[in-house]
Amino acid sequence: MSQGYPIKIYSEPDLSQSSLVLGWSEDAGNLGRKVTDYLNRKLKGQKFAEIELEDFFPLGGVTIEGNLAQFPESKFYACQELELVVFQSNPPGTEWYKFLNSILDVAEQHCQVKELYIIGAMVSFSAHTSPRQLFTVVNSAEIKEALNQYDLVGDMNYQTPAGERPTLNSFLLWIAKRRNIPGVSLWVPIPFYLSATEDPQAQKKVLSFLSERLRLEIDFSDIDQEIREQNEQLAQARSLYPEIDDYINRLESNLMLSEKENGELIKKIEEFLRESA
Amino acid sequence: MGISLCKEPNLENPILVASWPGIGNIGIIAVDTLRGMLGAEEFGEIEPWDFFYPRRVLIKNGILEYLEFPSSKFYFKRAAGKDIIFFIAEEQPTEGSRIYAEGKKAYHMANLVINVAEKFKCRKIYTSGAAVSLIHHTMKPRVWAVPNSERLIQEIRRYENAVLMSDIEGRGKQGNITGLNGLLLGVAKKRGFEAICLMGEIPVYLQGLPLSYPKASKSVLEVLTRSLKIEVNLDKLDELDQRVQRRIEEFYQQIPLAIREQLDRLRHVVYDKPVGPGPITEEEKKKIVDDVEKFFKKRGEGE
Repeated sequence: MSQGYPIKIYSEPDLSQSSLVLGWSEDAGNLGRKVTDYLNRKLKGQKFAEIELEDFFPLGGVTIEGNLAQFPESKFYACQELELVVFQSNPPGTEWYKFLNSILDVAEQHCQVKELYIIGAMVSFSAHTSPRQLFTVVNSAEIKEALNQYDLVGDMNYQTPAGERPTLNSFLLWIAKRRNIPGVSLWVPIPFYLSATEDPQAQKKVLSFLSERLRLEIDFSDIDQEIREQNEQLAQARSLYPEIDDYINRLESNLMLSEKENGELIKKIEEFLRESA
Repeated sequence: MGISLCKEPNLENPILVASWPGIGNIGIIAVDTLRGMLGAEEFGEIEPWDFFYPRRVLIKNGILEYLEFPSSKFYFKRAAGKDIIFFIAEEQPTEGSRIYAEGKKAYHMANLVINVAEKFKCRKIYTSGAAVSLIHHTMKPRVWAVPNSERLIQEIRRYENAVLMSDIEGRGKQGNITGLNGLLLGVAKKRGFEAICLMGEIPVYLQGLPLSYPKASKSVLEVLTRSLKIEVNLDKLDELDQRVQRRIEEFYQQIPLAIREQLDRLRHVVYDKPVGPGPITEEEKKKIVDDVEKFFKKRGEGE
């Protein structure tokens, strides 16, 4: 790399005008990870590069999730025929600017990336029966116009509230803008009681857009099946536990639950889905 | 990662005065007050993105318009026949969960500041911050002064209300300066620049509060302006101090009586010459610090 960034290239992908889809692990509903895993699995993405960890992650040990030791990953995959690059990573703990530039270095210098799509989830206090919307934030008026034909909510106004910081997605979108790479940050609201598990409806919302926009022609019958199964499980939970049904009914009527009720609903749904699995 | 100058002022061996947030924001309030009063003009900045995570995004109608980072800016002004460069940073570059600058980034930023000092042939550098002390908030804070060259010791001895480490009871000429204040002093020494760090005293029981301490900023500013032979009106700083003192008094009254009685004894300390109801021994000083620490720990756990 021109600036000595810590990147390992295993093979040079044959790409001429590709799009980069990026998903972070550890977001709500595990959305970034699920969507990028799905793309790699369905489109046979081949790993070709990774960012070395030591500059960006605290490597004092391992975390344990779901009984398994976890270790950070930052890997690039290529689906050459479809001119698609997928980057899947844990969010870095430090040296964000250097890390985000490393991603775009690989994208530009090894993949001729022309557009960037960043996947993001946001926790929503709505019911799972509400249709998922796909919000977008872009880094240029030109790409905004190019997205007009899709079913997107692209008129968001937002300013970071006091005491909070912008997301890593905004940081990346801004760097991409400085490098003249058109970029789109995609945001799907995920019902809060599914944020610690997963939300196949949200996954499909993002994947459907990407499939249409990038002409991936994905057959979604498998994810449709997952959506049906989760809906059945949640319907069963509602019929077995009146308090779950009451909470979700109130959310469906646009009523807010108390903090305690939110906590109870999360706990009961997570327990039920875990036992059902 | 570097310095971006929007103009190159013609300066004659300027003084560089640097500051950033820290305990009680003592240094930055002092330096930024002086910068504002002199009407210093911005001429450059250290590019922030390699040092800091952004602090604000502005999205308008779905388009990312703006990403704001903590700024680290340079200003200049000619006052009382001398050129002054101000360097004022809104945050210290940190690594991991540390509060104050440390590590490679901080060292790099300190070197960038000295690069500007070198470019404009600065003859002296001042940094400023806080000195956590066993004093009472009703007392006028002293200014601890640490030079990076033997030659400056005599100069500091002439400053009114400033003390060298050797003049501070129980210090034995020793101590340390954390964060960019210390680092800049060290990097300046390494690169052949004379520098002095001026630290305004803040009571030990106020160091953890999210309050600024303009009383100490005023002490720092008095020393700095006398050293630079600049006259400024400090009324605004007095007004700010009065407002903060009211909030400190409210907090002080919430401290349990037994601890407050200990702290009240600090009112009678005239530095190393205690007067009034009786001298405070080293053992009693330690007890005051221990009691205050226990109180804050308990308070923190309660919250």
